[in-house]
Parts: sequence; C-alpha cells; structure tokens
Amino acid sequence: MKLRLLLGLASLSLPALHAADTSPAPAQSPAAAPAPATVEGYAFVKSLGGISEYTLTGNGLQVLVRPDHSAPVVTFMVTYRVGSRNEGLGVTGATHLLEHLMFKGTENFNRTKGNSVDQLLERVGAEYNATTWLDRTNYFANLGKEHLEAYVAIEADRMRNLWLRDSDRRPEMTVVRNEFEIGENNPIQALDKEISAAAYIAHPYHHPTIGWRTDIENVPIEKLKEFYDTFYWPDNATVSVIGDIEPAAALALVKKYYGAIPKAPHPIPQVYTVEPAQSGPRRVTVKRAGQLGVVGIAFKTPAARHADMPALQLLGAILTSGKNSRLYRALTDKNLTTSVSTDVGFFHDPSLTTIYASLAPAAKHDEVEKIALTELERLKKDGVTDAEVAAAASQFIAGSAYARDGAFAIAGTLNEYISSGDWTLYVTLEDAIRKVTAADVKRVAETYLVEDQSTTGWFIPVLPPAPEAAK
Amino acid sequence: MISSRRFLLALLAATALLATAARAAIAEKVTRATIAGIDLIAYPTAVKDVVTFAGSLPAGDSFAPDANLAIASLVGGMLDKGTTAQDKFAIAQKLDAVGASLSFSVDSTMVTFSGKCLRKDVPLVVSLLAEQLRSPAFSEEEFTKLKKQIAGRLQRALEQTGYRAGQAFAATIYPPGHPNYEPSTEAFLAALNSATVADLRAFHQKFYGPAQLTLVAVGDIDPAALQADVTKAFANWTGGIKRPDYPRLAAASELVRDQSVFMAEKPNVSVIIGQASGLRYTDPDALPLRVATTILGSGFTGRLMATVRDQEGLTYGIGARTGNDTYTDGDWRIIANFAPDLLEKGLASTRRELTAWYEKGVTAEEVARTKTNLAGSFQVDLATTEGLAGAILGAVHRGYPLTWIDNYTNQLNAVTLDQVNAVIKKHLKPADMVLIKAGTVPSLAPAAK
Repeated sequence: MKLRLLLGLASLSLPALHAADTSPAPAQSPAAAPAPATVEGYAFVKSLGGISEYTLTGNGLQVLVRPDHSAPVVTFMVTYRVGSRNEGLGVTGATHLLEHLMFKGTENFNRTKGNSVDQLLERVGAEYNATTWLDRTNYFANLGKEHLEAYVAIEADRMRNLWLRDSDRRPEMTVVRNEFEIGENNPIQALDKEISAAAYIAHPYHHPTIGWRTDIENVPIEKLKEFYDTFYWPDNATVSVIGDIEPAAALALVKKYYGAIPKAPHPIPQVYTVEPAQSGPRRVTVKRAGQLGVVGIAFKTPAARHADMPALQLLGAILTSGKNSRLYRALTDKNLTTSVSTDVGFFHDPSLTTIYASLAPAAKHDEVEKIALTELERLKKDGVTDAEVAAAASQFIAGSAYARDGAFAIAGTLNEYISSGDWTLYVTLEDAIRKVTAADVKRVAETYLVEDQSTTGWFIPVLPPAPEAAK
Repeated sequence: MISSRRFLLALLAATALLATAARAAIAEKVTRATIAGIDLIAYPTAVKDVVTFAGSLPAGDSFAPDANLAIASLVGGMLDKGTTAQDKFAIAQKLDAVGASLSFSVDSTMVTFSGKCLRKDVPLVVSLLAEQLRSPAFSEEEFTKLKKQIAGRLQRALEQTGYRAGQAFAATIYPPGHPNYEPSTEAFLAALNSATVADLRAFHQKFYGPAQLTLVAVGDIDPAALQADVTKAFANWTGGIKRPDYPRLAAASELVRDQSVFMAEKPNVSVIIGQASGLRYTDPDALPLRVATTILGSGFTGRLMATVRDQEGLTYGIGARTGNDTYTDGDWRIIANFAPDLLEKGLASTRRELTAWYEKGVTAEEVARTKTNLAGSFQVDLATTEGLAGAILGAVHRGYPLTWIDNYTNQLNAVTLDQVNAVIKKHLKPADMVLIKAGTVPSLAPAAK
C-alpha cells in the first residue's frame, strides 16, 4: 500500500526543502495573507497559502485553519505525531492496532448510548476514516458543516478518555490480522516489506506499519495503554479544519472541546535512532506462489525536508511517470514490464526511493534489472533535458492544483506535510519545484542513485502446488 | 505500508450514491447543449483552476462481434497509442507539459474517458480528446505491444483473490450473451491473439461517433468557450450508434452454487455470496433494495460489519451492495475476506446475518438512519469536480434528467419500511445464492509434505 499511496501523493504534490524550522517566528506570507483571527486562548503563529497556524496556548495543540467555501462541507482532521516509527521490538503494529481501538468508544460516546463516532458519522453520511503510517496517525471526517461540532466533541473526547479494554483488543486483533493477511496476498507488498527490512538495520522504518504477525497477535493491552498515554496528547497533535467555516468559528469550536485537555505530563519521546551508513549493496529475494515477477531497486534518500527533495521528486517523475519517462520507454514500451513506478520516500527521517518494475510474462529479472540500471547510469552520465524537467514540474504544479479540489483532498495532502515535520511545505514546495534545474536532477541522481546505497529485491513467482480435487 | 481502519470505501461509494441536500440545484446551473452532435454538459464551480472531464459513448464489450469478444477492449486500448496525426509520445508530451491527463477505459457497454487539466489548458485537452476518439492510428506495431501488455496485465490479475472471485461470480450468475457475463481469461486471451488491425478499424468505423457521445466538464470553466472548443474539435464528425435497450435475460438456471477457486499461498480468502437481482437501477424496487442493502452491509454500523467484524473479529472487511445495473439487470452481493482457518466460521456468521435480515426484515429506525446517511453523503460526494462529473454522467447513463440529482432526497424520503422489507423477499433468495471462495481454501489445500 505504500507504493499505491505514494503514487497518489506524487501525482498531487510533494517534497520539500530546507531543514524544518519547527518553531518559526510568527510570520505572514506576502500579499494576500488574511488577517489572523483573534480568539482568546490562541497564539497566532503564521499564515501561508491561505492556511493559518495557531497554538492553543493552554496545552500546545497546533491548529491549522483553511477556509474553502466551494461546497457546504468541512473536513476536520487530527494528526498525531506517532507512527510505526515510534515502535520498538515486540510492539510493531501497536500504533495501528491502537488506531482501530480508538473507535471502541469512551464513557461519553459509545455504541450502547447510540452516539459512537461510527453511529454519528454514518448517520450524517460523512466520509471518514483513520490511517496510520510511518510518522503519524490521523483521524478525519468530511461532513456537512452543520454536523461538525458533534464530531469535534467525539474526537476531542477520545484523545484522553478512550476505553482500552482487552475485551475489545481480542476481536480487533483478528480484524487487524486479516488486514495483514490481505496485504500478504499482494506480491509487491510482500516484496516491499522485505526491501525495507533489509535496507534499514537500526531505524524503525525497518518494520512495516501494520507490524509483524506475532506482534499483532500478542501485544498486550497494557502496552497499548502505555502507547496511548505516551503519545495521545494535545502537544503531540495537529488539528486541521478545512472547508466552509470561518477561522474564528473554527478556533472557537476547537477551543471549546480541546481547551480543557492538559498538555502531556511528560516530554513526548523523540526517536533518536539514526540508521548506520550503508556500506554496500544489499539484495533480497521473495519466492512465493504467483504469476509474474517484480524487481524493486531502492536507494537511500534524505528526509522530506531536505533541500534535495524537490529535485528527487522530479527525478522520480522523469524516470517513470508517463509514456515519455525513461523507464517506460526502456521497459514497458518494449513489453518487458507491465508497469514501472518510482516511489520517492517523503518522510520525517531519511528513507528510500524505490523503483518498481513489474515484469511482463516472458521477461527475466536480471534482464529488466540490468536495463533499469543502465538507464540510471545513462541519466547520471548525460543528465536530463530542460524539457523533461519542465514537464515533470508542470505535472507537479498541476497536481498541486488538483489536490486543492475540495476540503477532503486538501486535508489528505496537508496531512503528509504535517507528518514530515513542516506543514508549510504544502505551500513552499511548489516554488521549490519551479526552481529545479536539469543540473539539479543530474546531481541528485549522482548523489543518491548509488549502488552501495541500494537494496534490490526480486519477487520470484513459483509454481503453485496443485489443489486437491476441486469440489 | 499505510494501514487504515476502513475497508469499504469503494463499496460505500457505490451504495451511498446520490442524495440531495442544501445546495443550489445542479440542474439550474448546468449549461447543456448539443454541440457538434455531442451532448455537452458544463457545470462551473467555485474551484480555482481545476477542470475535470468525464464522458462516454456506447462502444463497450457487449458490442464486440460474436467472432471476437476482445475487439471493443482492444479498440479502447488503442485510443491513447497514437493518432493518424501524431504518435503516442507526442500526445503524452503535450499533456505532460501542462500537467494534464486523459485516459480511456472500456466497460460492458461504454467507452468512458476522463481528463483533468488547468483552466488554461481546456482547448488543448478537448482537441486531443477529439483527435484520439476520431482518428486513432491503429498502427501494427502498437497493436502488437498492446496485446502483450493486456496479456501481462491479465496474468497479473490472476494473482488477486478478489479479481478471481469476481470473475467466477460474473461468469456464474449471468448467462453468456448478457452484458455482465464475464468470459474466462483463456477465452479472452484467445480472442486477443486472433484479433487484427482490420477488425479494430471496422469496429471503430461502425461504433465511434457522436450519436450518443456525452461530455461532462466541471470546475473552473467558461461554458461558452468550452462549446466553441468542442465545436472546433469535433466538427464534421458523424456516425456512432445509440445504445440499444438491452432485453432482460433470464438468469442462468443451472448454477454451481458453491465454487472454490484455489490459489496457493494466499493468507486471505476472498468470498462473494450473491445472485442476479433482475433489477435495473431505474426500476421502482431498486431504491428500496439499495436502502435495505445499505442496512445490511454498508459502513461500520451496517449489520455485517457490526457483527462479523466488530463483535466477532472474523474479518477486516465485509459488506453488501447492488451493482452492474446501470444499463441492464444487475446483481446483489456480499463481499468478504477471511483467513483460511476462519473461513467456515466467517461464512456461518455471514449466513446468520443474511438469514436474519431476509427473514425478519429491517426496522423503521434502520430505514430512517439509512436515509439520512444517504442524504448526507450527497454533500460529500458532490464536493469535488470529479464527484460532480461522475454524478452527472451517471444520471445521463441511467436516462434520468439532471433534475433527478436534485430530487434524489425526495425520492429517498418517499421510501417506506414496508417497501424495503417487501423488496428483500421479492427479489432475493438466500437459499439459492451462489457462494464463491478464492484463495487457499482449506478443504482444497494440498496435504503437507
């Protein structure tokens, strides 16, 4: 699912720049920046691109507000800065399992009372969900504006008052295990897990967000409670309110329900593990029943906020986006692959840029890998054209506009920038993309597409065993 | 790697289709005109810069000649492989240079197309759309490549338990000749390999044209300018066909009601339980049945998720829906996922809920809640240009006037508890439903060595 989501993200917008300024001085963007709303209890931080940032001073909750009156709906989202990156040995998948348990209710809002989050949101036809990933967990709903307050009340309540009962964990564990099993059905997901596990030795990006099977099955409720009590606090969260609502009203609503929650009684633990330098190429092989092979080649690339990220994003597009991309022409158009894609990691910490080549029926792994690597070397040696850079940048910029088509789309994109550590990349990245040159793309290719920093994986389909006589 | 609690977004989107809410009437804001023979529908919205296109013409798989069932799909697949004026790379370059997109697909009945661009690029996208629909190159070289690409994609799809289950279901409940009947992969590949460029040209000549071409554009558009662009791009194009009204075909009678598609080493089994519904979307009983089906199998408060998942922990995702009923009589199905060792238990729980729903019906409270659910989802679904374009095109496909979108809530509110419970019994027969299991079905798994 990483691949699919990142592809989606890539088509919307992406990466960023200079190391994050996580506590910038109050500032406003030039020109059309709206005057900040004045609501007691908030400190205005900055406005950029129509988004205004405030801090609820009593508890440190970060609040982002973006009015969008194109439809009478509002998207409300809370992003917790905790993901599988914050998990250790034996508790992999805990963040995600906890996300599921967040729907089991509180004393105030639960199914027995008929006012659970599911009951409310489905009754009003909201689009809602929660997701967990490497750096964050988010909960969100897109709903008619008249129903917003009822949802905010529930969302705020479950930040600190969640029921965490083993009687809920046990059936939910098997639900999550089935989610794990569905993922295991997919060869690319299976390969992706093994590439990450080989590429990272120490850093927690090593393990998949859904966790290892035995951890999912055995993590005790006490550990989940500990996780909840460590990370689910207002000073470790960002609330985004996007849609048909005025900023002052949004801030007042958030304050009404989140204002009484205290800040964490402890410092939020930070991940300090840095992945050791890789000193040579790594390889993994996954052999399973299947139809066609896959080759994945991953390279270590920097964190989302790094200055090279815009050029890396364009490099990814030049390699595999569209019929004129380098690897489409070299592989798919020659019927050696059914598809090619590049997943440029856009995360809080340094991650991977992975090229996936899904083999066509007669193609050989070594042949496809060799051609892909030859194309990379050619690009590093000869560089790219100005036209390639311009086209990739245009796709990115148009994608950014498409990602502003409705409050829900805006929230989904903004969420990834929040989790990267700097939401302003949602705005500034586009400018950075415009400045990328062909020389920049060549330089980042030379810098990061290096064999000694690579992890290559092959999915090799094996002949499945014959079934027993069919019924 | 991202993990999410939600399984059934697509399912919900299908069932929670359209309702109506507090929004200016769409039909009143639409500019609709026949331009160059095309039914052109323009709907300006407040979104900045973004324009979304959606459209279709009747040239889907059901129009393929008896001699070769792959022809319609192959013609659709060749639309973005170059035209008589320029090759596919040149077209892609023009679109990429402005970040625009255009894509084509073929379903049982229609060739559908969709596009996205910035406001300034509407003329370009309209002209390329017209060029690709009107004058595909049908080059031998590209045709050879396409056949191999499709064969590869089909082989890859065979790895997916959900695909295999769906294919077996459609091949079972629909008789051959029904637009929703699904041929075997082997039959499709055989047809693919025997097709020629001449076959494609003949099909294109016969079925492509403006006779029933609909083009919907939503977003930051100027309707008058769009009409001028369409007039220019599609001038002097003639031909095409009107979609025929399909006769209702009797459901297949000799069914194998319990089928397993064995796939080795799949930790999850995809399950479908269902039947041909005999209903079209526009039939009077269809809306009450959608309400009933939503109560059984939509969202986390639907009966199936609330019990089989939330209470018993047997599955990540289970739901029910009606579908494939836009142009012809469709089907009703439950879709579920179970680990092989929980399969029998999961099936038993599913059948228990299905039986209770069928035997005892639903309650007035459930009907009332479902109506507000469907009505509320209207605002959400129509909050993007893509959602609006899809809703408008869907109304056209079903033969409704656009006011139908604005009146949907009224129709929904008119549905009664008695109607809902009556249509369940009238159109469904759980005892006769087909069960498909795709994956490492335990009873078929090879013995361990």
